[in-house]
Amino acid sequence: MEKKQSSIAAARAARRAARAKENEANQKKASKKGKIQITLGVLLFIAIIITGYVLKVNVSSKSALMWVFGISFGVTLQRARFCFTAAVRDPALTGSMSLAKSVLIAIGIATIGFAAIHYANGDPSTAKLAKGAYYFVKPVGLHTAVGAFLFGIGMVIAGGCASGTLMRIGEGFMMQMITLIFFICGVLLGFANRPFWKDKIFFKPVHFPKEFGWVPALFLQFVLLFLCFLTVEYISRKRKQKK
Amino acid sequence: MQEKELDCLGEACPIPLVKAEKAMNTLEVGDLLIISIDHSCAMKNLPEWARDNGHNVEIEETGEGQWEVFIEKCK
Amino acid sequence: MSNENQQSLVSSLYERFLKNPWPYYTGAVILAVLNVALLAASGKPWGISGIFNYWGGMIVELFGGSVENWLFFKNPKHLKLLHKGFWGNPGSVRDFAIIIAALMTSLLAGQFKFKMIKSWRQFAAAVIGGLFMGYGAMIAFGCNIGGLFSGTASMSLHGWVFMVFIFLGGLVGSKILVKYLL
Repeated sequence: MEKKQSSIAAARAARRAARAKENEANQKKASKKGKIQITLGVLLFIAIIITGYVLKVNVSSKSALMWVFGISFGVTLQRARFCFTAAVRDPALTGSMSLAKSVLIAIGIATIGFAAIHYANGDPSTAKLAKGAYYFVKPVGLHTAVGAFLFGIGMVIAGGCASGTLMRIGEGFMMQMITLIFFICGVLLGFANRPFWKDKIFFKPVHFPKEFGWVPALFLQFVLLFLCFLTVEYISRKRKQKK
Repeated sequence: MQEKELDCLGEACPIPLVKAEKAMNTLEVGDLLIISIDHSCAMKNLPEWARDNGHNVEIEETGEGQWEVFIEKCK
Repeated sequence: MSNENQQSLVSSLYERFLKNPWPYYTGAVILAVLNVALLAASGKPWGISGIFNYWGGMIVELFGGSVENWLFFKNPKHLKLLHKGFWGNPGSVRDFAIIIAALMTSLLAGQFKFKMIKSWRQFAAAVIGGLFMGYGAMIAFGCNIGGLFSGTASMSLHGWVFMVFIFLGGLVGSKILVKYLL
Protein backbone atom coordinates (compact mmCIF):
# COMPACT_ATOMS: atom_id res chain seq x y z
CA MET A 1 0.00 0.00 0.00
CA GLU A 2 2.74 2.40 1.01
CA LYS A 3 4.70 1.66 -2.10
CA LYS A 4 1.64 2.37 -4.25
CA GLN A 5 1.04 5.76 -2.67
CA SER A 6 4.62 6.72 -3.28
CA SER A 7 4.39 6.36 -7.05
CA ILE A 8 1.79 9.14 -7.06
CA ALA A 9 3.87 11.15 -4.61
CA ALA A 10 6.95 10.83 -6.81
CA ALA A 11 5.07 12.00 -9.90
CA ARG A 12 3.57 14.90 -7.96
CA ALA A 13 6.95 15.99 -6.62
CA ALA A 14 8.53 15.83 -10.07
CA ARG A 15 5.80 17.94 -11.58
CA ARG A 16 5.84 20.42 -8.75
CA ALA A 17 9.56 20.92 -9.24
CA ALA A 18 9.08 21.42 -12.98
CA ARG A 19 6.41 24.02 -12.36
CA ALA A 20 8.53 25.85 -9.81
CA LYS A 21 11.33 26.01 -12.35
CA GLU A 22 8.98 27.37 -14.99
CA ASN A 23 7.61 29.98 -12.59
CA GLU A 24 11.11 31.04 -11.71
CA ALA A 25 11.91 31.47 -15.35
CA ASN A 26 8.82 33.60 -15.82
CA GLN A 27 9.59 35.45 -12.60
CA LYS A 28 6.14 35.17 -11.20
CA LYS A 29 4.78 33.67 -8.06
CA ALA A 30 1.64 31.59 -8.17
CA SER A 31 0.74 32.34 -4.57
CA LYS A 32 0.74 36.07 -5.15
CA LYS A 33 -1.73 35.75 -7.99
CA GLY A 34 -4.02 33.71 -5.77
CA LYS A 35 -4.09 36.52 -3.21
CA ILE A 36 -5.35 38.97 -5.82
CA GLN A 37 -8.33 36.74 -6.49
CA ILE A 38 -9.15 36.48 -2.80
CA THR A 39 -8.96 40.27 -2.43
CA LEU A 40 -11.29 40.68 -5.40
CA GLY A 41 -13.60 38.12 -3.82
CA VAL A 42 -13.74 40.06 -0.57
CA LEU A 43 -14.42 43.30 -2.46
CA LEU A 44 -17.20 41.57 -4.38
CA PHE A 45 -18.66 40.33 -1.11
CA ILE A 46 -18.81 43.91 0.16
CA ALA A 47 -20.33 45.04 -3.15
CA ILE A 48 -23.00 42.33 -2.83
CA ILE A 49 -23.99 43.60 0.61
CA ILE A 50 -24.13 47.18 -0.64
CA THR A 51 -26.20 46.11 -3.64
CA GLY A 52 -28.69 44.41 -1.33
CA TYR A 53 -28.99 47.56 0.75
CA VAL A 54 -29.38 49.80 -2.32
CA LEU A 55 -32.05 47.47 -3.73
CA LYS A 56 -33.96 47.65 -0.48
CA VAL A 57 -33.83 51.42 -0.29
CA ASN A 58 -34.12 52.39 -3.95
CA VAL A 59 -35.98 49.58 -5.68
CA SER A 60 -38.14 47.33 -3.54
CA SER A 61 -37.82 45.06 -0.57
CA LYS A 62 -38.99 42.17 -2.77
CA SER A 63 -36.02 42.67 -5.07
CA ALA A 64 -33.69 42.86 -2.08
CA LEU A 65 -35.18 39.66 -0.68
CA MET A 66 -34.67 37.86 -3.99
CA TRP A 67 -31.11 39.17 -4.12
CA VAL A 68 -30.46 37.49 -0.76
CA PHE A 69 -32.08 34.26 -1.93
CA GLY A 70 -30.24 34.27 -5.24
CA ILE A 71 -26.88 34.83 -3.57
CA SER A 72 -27.60 32.02 -1.10
CA PHE A 73 -28.62 29.64 -3.89
CA GLY A 74 -25.58 30.60 -5.94
CA VAL A 75 -23.12 30.17 -3.08
CA THR A 76 -24.56 26.75 -2.25
CA LEU A 77 -24.61 25.59 -5.87
CA GLN A 78 -21.01 26.64 -6.48
CA ARG A 79 -19.54 25.55 -3.16
CA ALA A 80 -21.15 22.12 -3.23
CA ARG A 81 -20.63 21.82 -7.01
CA PHE A 82 -24.30 20.95 -7.03
CA CYS A 83 -25.25 20.00 -10.55
CA PHE A 84 -28.70 18.74 -11.48
CA THR A 85 -27.39 17.73 -14.88
CA ALA A 86 -24.82 15.37 -13.39
CA ALA A 87 -27.47 13.99 -11.04
CA VAL A 88 -29.59 12.89 -13.99
CA ARG A 89 -26.74 11.92 -16.29
CA ASP A 90 -24.13 10.19 -14.15
CA PRO A 91 -25.83 7.04 -12.82
CA ALA A 92 -26.06 5.66 -16.35
CA LEU A 93 -23.00 7.33 -17.88
CA THR A 94 -20.35 6.88 -15.20
CA GLY A 95 -21.97 4.94 -12.38
CA SER A 96 -21.67 7.85 -9.90
CA MET A 97 -24.79 8.15 -7.83
CA SER A 98 -24.06 10.51 -4.96
CA LEU A 99 -25.48 13.56 -6.76
CA ALA A 100 -28.61 11.74 -7.89
CA LYS A 101 -29.24 10.66 -4.32
CA SER A 102 -28.59 14.20 -3.10
CA VAL A 103 -31.23 15.56 -5.45
CA LEU A 104 -33.73 12.96 -4.23
CA ILE A 105 -32.95 13.96 -0.63
CA ALA A 106 -33.43 17.62 -1.50
CA ILE A 107 -36.79 16.83 -3.09
CA GLY A 108 -37.79 14.82 -0.04
CA ILE A 109 -36.95 17.60 2.42
CA ALA A 110 -38.61 20.24 0.24
CA THR A 111 -41.74 18.07 -0.03
CA ILE A 112 -42.21 18.16 3.73
CA GLY A 113 -41.79 21.92 3.89
CA PHE A 114 -43.97 22.59 0.84
CA ALA A 115 -46.73 20.34 2.14
CA ALA A 116 -46.71 22.09 5.50
CA ILE A 117 -46.89 25.54 3.92
CA HIS A 118 -49.58 24.54 1.44
CA TYR A 119 -51.58 22.80 4.15
CA ALA A 120 -51.48 25.82 6.41
CA ASN A 121 -52.41 28.27 3.66
CA GLY A 122 -55.24 26.46 2.00
CA ASP A 123 -58.27 24.31 2.31
CA PRO A 124 -56.88 20.79 2.62
CA SER A 125 -60.03 19.09 1.32
CA THR A 126 -60.08 20.91 -2.00
CA ALA A 127 -56.41 21.85 -2.03
CA LYS A 128 -57.33 25.44 -2.76
CA LEU A 129 -54.95 28.08 -1.57
CA ALA A 130 -55.42 31.42 0.06
CA LYS A 131 -54.85 34.37 -2.22
CA GLY A 132 -51.22 35.24 -2.74
CA ALA A 133 -49.96 31.70 -2.29
CA TYR A 134 -49.34 29.41 -5.22
CA TYR A 135 -49.08 25.77 -5.90
CA PHE A 136 -46.47 24.82 -8.39
CA VAL A 137 -48.84 22.47 -10.14
CA LYS A 138 -48.81 22.68 -13.92
CA PRO A 139 -50.66 20.96 -16.76
CA VAL A 140 -49.30 17.55 -17.53
CA GLY A 141 -49.33 15.78 -20.85
CA LEU A 142 -47.34 14.99 -23.94
CA HIS A 143 -45.77 18.46 -23.82
CA THR A 144 -44.24 17.62 -20.43
CA ALA A 145 -42.69 14.45 -21.84
CA VAL A 146 -41.40 16.06 -25.02
CA GLY A 147 -40.15 19.15 -23.19
CA ALA A 148 -38.35 17.18 -20.50
CA PHE A 149 -36.84 14.87 -23.11
CA LEU A 150 -35.47 17.82 -25.12
CA PHE A 151 -34.28 19.46 -21.93
CA GLY A 152 -32.44 16.28 -20.97
CA ILE A 153 -30.61 16.11 -24.29
CA GLY A 154 -29.80 19.82 -24.20
CA MET A 155 -28.42 19.92 -20.69
CA VAL A 156 -26.10 16.96 -21.23
CA ILE A 157 -24.54 18.27 -24.43
CA ALA A 158 -24.31 21.84 -23.12
CA GLY A 159 -22.80 20.64 -19.85
CA GLY A 160 -25.26 22.26 -17.48
CA CYS A 161 -28.92 23.03 -16.94
CA ALA A 162 -30.37 26.43 -16.07
CA SER A 163 -28.83 26.66 -12.60
CA GLY A 164 -25.57 25.11 -13.80
CA THR A 165 -25.34 27.51 -16.74
CA LEU A 166 -25.73 30.57 -14.50
CA MET A 167 -23.28 29.22 -11.96
CA ARG A 168 -20.67 28.39 -14.59
CA ILE A 169 -20.91 31.82 -16.16
CA GLY A 170 -19.87 33.10 -12.74
CA GLU A 171 -16.95 30.67 -12.76
CA GLY A 172 -15.74 32.08 -16.07
CA PHE A 173 -16.96 29.65 -18.71
CA MET A 174 -17.29 31.29 -22.09
CA MET A 175 -19.18 28.26 -23.39
CA GLN A 176 -22.01 28.72 -20.91
CA MET A 177 -22.44 32.35 -21.93
CA ILE A 178 -23.25 31.13 -25.41
CA THR A 179 -25.55 28.54 -23.89
CA LEU A 180 -27.38 31.25 -21.95
CA ILE A 181 -27.94 33.37 -25.05
CA PHE A 182 -29.45 30.46 -26.92
CA PHE A 183 -31.29 29.29 -23.82
CA ILE A 184 -33.09 32.64 -23.86
CA CYS A 185 -33.85 32.25 -27.59
CA GLY A 186 -35.21 28.77 -26.89
CA VAL A 187 -37.38 30.09 -24.07
CA LEU A 188 -38.90 32.77 -26.29
CA LEU A 189 -39.56 30.21 -29.02
CA GLY A 190 -40.96 27.68 -26.58
CA PHE A 191 -43.35 30.10 -24.93
CA ALA A 192 -44.63 31.30 -28.30
CA ASN A 193 -45.22 27.68 -29.21
CA ARG A 194 -47.27 26.82 -26.16
CA PRO A 195 -50.66 27.26 -27.94
CA PHE A 196 -49.59 24.61 -30.46
CA TRP A 197 -49.12 22.10 -27.66
CA LYS A 198 -52.14 23.34 -25.76
CA ASP A 199 -54.57 22.79 -28.63
CA LYS A 200 -53.51 19.22 -29.07
CA ILE A 201 -52.40 17.56 -25.93
CA PHE A 202 -52.65 19.53 -22.72
CA PHE A 203 -54.20 17.74 -19.81
CA LYS A 204 -55.32 19.22 -16.55
CA PRO A 205 -52.80 19.61 -13.74
CA VAL A 206 -52.74 16.71 -11.33
CA HIS A 207 -52.05 17.52 -7.71
CA PHE A 208 -51.66 14.45 -5.51
CA PRO A 209 -53.15 15.97 -2.32
CA LYS A 210 -56.25 17.01 -4.23
CA GLU A 211 -56.68 13.59 -5.78
CA PHE A 212 -55.92 11.42 -2.79
CA GLY A 213 -55.87 13.64 0.33
CA TRP A 214 -52.79 14.88 2.14
CA VAL A 215 -51.63 11.80 4.01
CA PRO A 216 -51.98 9.31 1.14
CA ALA A 217 -50.35 11.87 -1.17
CA LEU A 218 -47.34 12.21 1.11
CA PHE A 219 -47.16 8.45 1.44
CA LEU A 220 -47.24 8.03 -2.35
CA GLN A 221 -44.63 10.77 -2.76
CA PHE A 222 -42.15 9.08 -0.45
CA VAL A 223 -42.79 5.64 -1.92
CA LEU A 224 -42.00 7.10 -5.35
CA LEU A 225 -38.87 8.82 -4.03
CA PHE A 226 -37.74 5.55 -2.48
CA LEU A 227 -38.32 3.74 -5.78
CA CYS A 228 -36.18 6.39 -7.49
CA PHE A 229 -33.50 5.77 -4.88
CA LEU A 230 -33.53 2.06 -5.67
CA THR A 231 -33.52 2.72 -9.42
CA VAL A 232 -30.48 5.00 -9.10
CA GLU A 233 -28.69 2.36 -7.05
CA TYR A 234 -29.58 -0.36 -9.57
CA ILE A 235 -28.51 1.63 -12.63
CA SER A 236 -25.22 2.72 -11.05
CA ARG A 237 -24.30 -0.76 -9.91
CA LYS A 238 -25.10 -2.21 -13.30
CA ARG A 239 -22.97 0.47 -14.94
CA LYS A 240 -20.04 -0.27 -12.64
CA GLN A 241 -20.14 -3.99 -13.39
CA LYS A 242 -19.92 -3.28 -17.09
CA LYS A 243 -16.35 -2.53 -18.06
CA MET B 1 5.27 1.20 -14.62
CA GLN B 2 3.74 3.37 -17.25
CA GLU B 3 2.74 6.98 -16.89
CA LYS B 4 0.08 8.45 -19.12
CA GLU B 5 -0.98 12.07 -19.41
CA LEU B 6 -4.38 13.34 -20.45
CA ASP B 7 -4.98 16.98 -21.27
CA CYS B 8 -8.60 17.87 -20.57
CA LEU B 9 -8.15 21.62 -20.17
CA GLY B 10 -11.18 23.44 -21.49
CA GLU B 11 -13.32 20.32 -21.58
CA ALA B 12 -16.69 20.43 -19.90
CA CYS B 13 -18.12 17.81 -17.63
CA PRO B 14 -18.37 14.82 -18.12
CA ILE B 15 -15.79 14.61 -20.90
CA PRO B 16 -12.74 14.43 -18.56
CA LEU B 17 -14.32 11.52 -16.74
CA VAL B 18 -15.30 9.63 -19.88
CA LYS B 19 -11.83 10.13 -21.34
CA ALA B 20 -10.21 9.08 -18.08
CA GLU B 21 -12.26 5.91 -17.99
CA LYS B 22 -11.24 5.03 -21.55
CA ALA B 23 -7.59 5.68 -20.74
CA MET B 24 -7.79 3.60 -17.57
CA ASN B 25 -9.00 0.64 -19.57
CA THR B 26 -5.83 0.71 -21.66
CA LEU B 27 -3.55 0.80 -18.60
CA GLU B 28 -2.19 -2.02 -16.47
CA VAL B 29 -2.42 -2.32 -12.69
CA GLY B 30 0.20 -0.08 -11.12
CA ASP B 31 0.21 2.41 -13.99
CA LEU B 32 -0.35 6.09 -13.39
CA LEU B 33 -2.78 8.38 -15.19
CA ILE B 34 -2.36 12.15 -14.86
CA ILE B 35 -5.29 14.29 -16.01
CA SER B 36 -5.13 18.07 -16.29
CA ILE B 37 -8.49 19.75 -15.81
CA ASP B 38 -9.87 23.23 -15.34
CA HIS B 39 -13.50 22.34 -14.81
CA SER B 40 -14.49 23.03 -11.23
CA CYS B 41 -16.97 20.17 -11.13
CA ALA B 42 -14.55 17.62 -12.56
CA MET B 43 -12.14 18.34 -9.69
CA LYS B 44 -14.78 16.85 -7.42
CA ASN B 45 -16.41 14.12 -9.46
CA LEU B 46 -13.26 12.72 -11.08
CA PRO B 47 -11.52 11.83 -7.79
CA GLU B 48 -14.82 10.58 -6.41
CA TRP B 49 -15.30 8.30 -9.41
CA ALA B 50 -11.74 6.96 -9.20
CA ARG B 51 -12.01 6.25 -5.48
CA ASP B 52 -15.38 4.63 -6.09
CA ASN B 53 -13.76 2.26 -8.55
CA GLY B 54 -11.04 1.30 -6.10
CA HIS B 55 -8.08 3.27 -7.46
CA ASN B 56 -5.60 5.42 -5.58
CA VAL B 57 -6.18 9.05 -6.34
CA GLU B 58 -4.71 12.40 -5.39
CA ILE B 59 -5.43 15.90 -6.61
CA GLU B 60 -3.13 18.88 -6.82
CA GLU B 61 -4.03 22.49 -7.55
CA THR B 62 -1.55 23.61 -10.19
CA GLY B 63 -2.89 27.08 -10.76
CA GLU B 64 -6.00 29.21 -10.43
CA GLY B 65 -8.92 27.00 -11.32
CA GLN B 66 -6.60 24.36 -12.64
CA TRP B 67 -5.87 20.94 -11.24
CA GLU B 68 -3.97 17.74 -11.90
CA VAL B 69 -5.61 14.51 -10.88
CA PHE B 70 -3.31 11.54 -10.29
CA ILE B 71 -4.96 8.16 -10.58
CA GLU B 72 -3.07 4.96 -9.94
CA LYS B 73 -4.76 1.91 -11.34
CA CYS B 74 -5.24 -0.59 -8.52
CA LYS B 75 -7.43 -3.23 -10.08
CA MET C 1 2.26 30.83 19.96
CA SER C 2 -1.42 31.71 20.32
CA ASN C 3 -1.13 33.89 17.27
CA GLU C 4 0.13 30.90 15.36
CA ASN C 5 -2.80 28.84 16.58
CA GLN C 6 -5.23 31.48 15.47
CA GLN C 7 -3.57 31.64 12.12
CA SER C 8 -4.01 27.93 11.64
CA LEU C 9 -7.63 28.12 12.80
CA VAL C 10 -8.37 30.79 10.21
CA SER C 11 -6.65 28.89 7.48
CA SER C 12 -8.34 25.62 8.38
CA LEU C 13 -11.74 27.33 8.39
CA TYR C 14 -10.90 28.91 5.05
CA GLU C 15 -9.86 25.54 3.61
CA ARG C 16 -12.98 23.91 4.89
CA PHE C 17 -15.65 26.43 3.93
CA LEU C 18 -14.26 28.52 1.10
CA LYS C 19 -11.60 26.42 -0.60
CA ASN C 20 -12.61 22.77 -0.57
CA PRO C 21 -15.96 21.83 -2.05
CA TRP C 22 -18.78 21.03 0.34
CA PRO C 23 -20.27 17.54 0.30
CA TYR C 24 -23.19 17.06 -2.09
CA TYR C 25 -25.50 16.13 0.78
CA THR C 26 -24.76 19.42 2.55
CA GLY C 27 -25.71 21.23 -0.64
CA ALA C 28 -28.90 19.19 -0.94
CA VAL C 29 -30.05 20.06 2.57
CA ILE C 30 -29.26 23.77 2.20
CA LEU C 31 -30.96 24.03 -1.19
CA ALA C 32 -34.07 22.27 0.12
CA VAL C 33 -34.28 24.51 3.18
CA LEU C 34 -33.78 27.61 1.01
CA ASN C 35 -36.48 26.49 -1.41
CA VAL C 36 -38.94 25.98 1.46
CA ALA C 37 -38.00 29.36 2.90
CA LEU C 38 -38.51 30.95 -0.51
CA LEU C 39 -41.98 29.45 -0.80
CA ALA C 40 -42.86 30.64 2.70
CA ALA C 41 -41.51 34.13 2.09
CA SER C 42 -42.81 34.81 -1.42
CA GLY C 43 -45.57 32.29 -2.08
CA LYS C 44 -43.73 30.76 -5.02
CA PRO C 45 -41.07 28.06 -5.05
CA TRP C 46 -37.74 28.38 -6.83
CA GLY C 47 -37.66 28.59 -10.61
CA ILE C 48 -35.11 29.86 -13.10
CA SER C 49 -36.01 29.58 -16.77
CA GLY C 50 -39.33 31.44 -16.77
CA ILE C 51 -37.39 34.61 -15.95
CA PHE C 52 -35.52 34.30 -19.25
CA ASN C 53 -38.71 35.49 -20.98
CA TYR C 54 -38.11 38.86 -19.33
CA TRP C 55 -34.39 38.83 -20.13
CA GLY C 56 -35.26 38.15 -23.78
CA GLY C 57 -37.80 40.96 -23.73
CA MET C 58 -35.27 43.32 -22.15
CA ILE C 59 -32.66 42.55 -24.79
CA VAL C 60 -35.13 43.03 -27.64
CA GLU C 61 -36.37 46.31 -26.18
CA LEU C 62 -32.79 47.42 -25.64
CA PHE C 63 -32.25 47.16 -29.38
CA GLY C 64 -35.45 49.07 -30.08
CA GLY C 65 -37.67 46.09 -30.81
CA SER C 66 -41.22 45.72 -29.66
CA VAL C 67 -42.50 42.87 -27.52
CA GLU C 68 -46.17 43.81 -27.19
CA ASN C 69 -47.22 41.15 -29.67
CA TRP C 70 -45.46 38.34 -27.91
CA LEU C 71 -47.71 35.82 -26.28
CA PHE C 72 -45.88 36.13 -22.98
CA PHE C 73 -46.27 39.89 -22.81
CA LYS C 74 -49.93 39.87 -23.87
CA ASN C 75 -50.48 39.18 -20.20
CA PRO C 76 -50.54 42.76 -18.81
CA LYS C 77 -49.00 41.58 -15.54
CA HIS C 78 -45.93 40.34 -17.39
CA LEU C 79 -45.64 43.52 -19.46
CA LYS C 80 -45.86 45.65 -16.35
CA LEU C 81 -43.14 43.64 -14.66
CA LEU C 82 -40.94 43.88 -17.76
CA HIS C 83 -41.14 47.66 -17.62
CA LYS C 84 -40.02 47.69 -14.01
CA GLY C 85 -36.61 46.94 -15.47
CA PHE C 86 -33.84 44.52 -14.63
CA TRP C 87 -33.56 45.37 -10.94
CA GLY C 88 -37.24 45.94 -10.35
CA ASN C 89 -38.01 42.39 -11.41
CA PRO C 90 -37.41 40.17 -8.35
CA GLY C 91 -36.96 36.97 -10.36
CA SER C 92 -34.43 38.59 -12.63
CA VAL C 93 -32.49 39.81 -9.59
CA ARG C 94 -32.53 36.28 -8.20
CA ASP C 95 -31.18 34.71 -11.40
CA PHE C 96 -28.47 37.34 -11.77
CA ALA C 97 -27.47 36.88 -8.13
CA ILE C 98 -26.59 33.24 -8.86
CA ILE C 99 -23.98 34.36 -11.40
CA ILE C 100 -22.51 36.93 -9.01
CA ALA C 101 -22.48 34.52 -6.09
CA ALA C 102 -20.64 31.87 -8.11
CA LEU C 103 -18.15 34.50 -9.24
CA MET C 104 -17.57 35.56 -5.64
CA THR C 105 -17.07 32.06 -4.23
CA SER C 106 -14.76 30.98 -7.04
CA LEU C 107 -12.69 34.15 -6.50
CA LEU C 108 -12.60 33.59 -2.74
CA ALA C 109 -11.34 30.07 -3.38
CA GLY C 110 -8.70 31.49 -5.71
CA GLN C 111 -10.09 29.22 -8.42
CA PHE C 112 -11.52 31.62 -10.96
CA LYS C 113 -10.31 31.03 -14.47
CA PHE C 114 -11.62 32.50 -17.67
CA LYS C 115 -12.22 29.56 -19.94
CA MET C 116 -12.46 30.17 -23.66
CA ILE C 117 -14.40 27.98 -26.04
CA LYS C 118 -12.14 25.18 -27.13
CA SER C 119 -13.56 24.14 -30.47
CA TRP C 120 -16.36 24.62 -32.96
CA ARG C 121 -17.89 21.44 -31.71
CA GLN C 122 -18.10 22.87 -28.21
CA PHE C 123 -19.67 26.03 -29.62
CA ALA C 124 -22.24 23.99 -31.54
CA ALA C 125 -23.02 21.97 -28.41
CA ALA C 126 -23.62 25.19 -26.46
CA VAL C 127 -25.95 26.54 -29.17
CA ILE C 128 -27.99 23.37 -29.66
CA GLY C 129 -28.02 22.55 -25.97
CA GLY C 130 -29.21 26.04 -25.08
CA LEU C 131 -32.00 26.01 -27.67
CA PHE C 132 -33.21 22.54 -26.66
CA MET C 133 -33.20 23.46 -22.98
CA GLY C 134 -35.03 26.74 -23.49
CA TYR C 135 -37.70 25.25 -25.73
CA GLY C 136 -38.08 22.16 -23.58
CA ALA C 137 -38.34 24.13 -20.36
CA MET C 138 -41.09 26.35 -21.72
CA ILE C 139 -43.35 23.66 -23.15
CA ALA C 140 -42.84 21.43 -20.10
CA PHE C 141 -43.50 24.31 -17.64
CA GLY C 142 -40.17 24.24 -15.86
CA CYS C 143 -36.50 23.38 -15.99
CA ASN C 144 -34.56 21.22 -13.58
CA ILE C 145 -35.35 23.68 -10.84
CA GLY C 146 -38.96 24.62 -11.54
CA GLY C 147 -39.94 21.20 -12.90
CA LEU C 148 -37.76 18.58 -11.29
CA PHE C 149 -37.04 20.17 -7.91
CA SER C 150 -39.96 22.47 -7.13
CA GLY C 151 -42.54 20.66 -9.28
CA THR C 152 -41.91 17.24 -7.80
CA ALA C 153 -41.67 18.64 -4.28
CA SER C 154 -45.09 20.25 -4.79
CA MET C 155 -46.45 16.72 -5.29
CA SER C 156 -47.55 17.54 -8.81
CA LEU C 157 -47.71 14.86 -11.47
CA HIS C 158 -45.94 17.12 -13.96
CA GLY C 159 -42.80 17.02 -11.82
CA TRP C 160 -42.75 13.23 -11.85
CA VAL C 161 -43.38 12.96 -15.59
CA PHE C 162 -40.61 15.53 -16.05
CA MET C 163 -38.24 13.41 -13.97
CA VAL C 164 -38.86 10.25 -16.02
CA PHE C 165 -38.39 11.94 -19.37
CA ILE C 166 -35.44 14.08 -18.41
CA PHE C 167 -33.70 10.86 -17.46
CA LEU C 168 -34.48 9.36 -20.88
CA GLY C 169 -33.34 12.60 -22.56
CA GLY C 170 -30.17 12.44 -20.52
CA LEU C 171 -29.47 8.92 -21.80
CA VAL C 172 -29.84 10.07 -25.42
CA GLY C 173 -27.79 13.19 -24.68
CA SER C 174 -24.99 11.06 -23.21
CA LYS C 175 -24.93 8.89 -26.34
CA ILE C 176 -24.66 12.01 -28.52
CA LEU C 177 -21.95 13.43 -26.26
CA VAL C 178 -19.83 10.30 -26.34
CA LYS C 179 -20.23 9.97 -30.10
CA TYR C 180 -19.72 13.54 -31.28
CA LEU C 181 -18.10 15.60 -28.55
CA LEU C 182 -15.35 13.38 -27.29
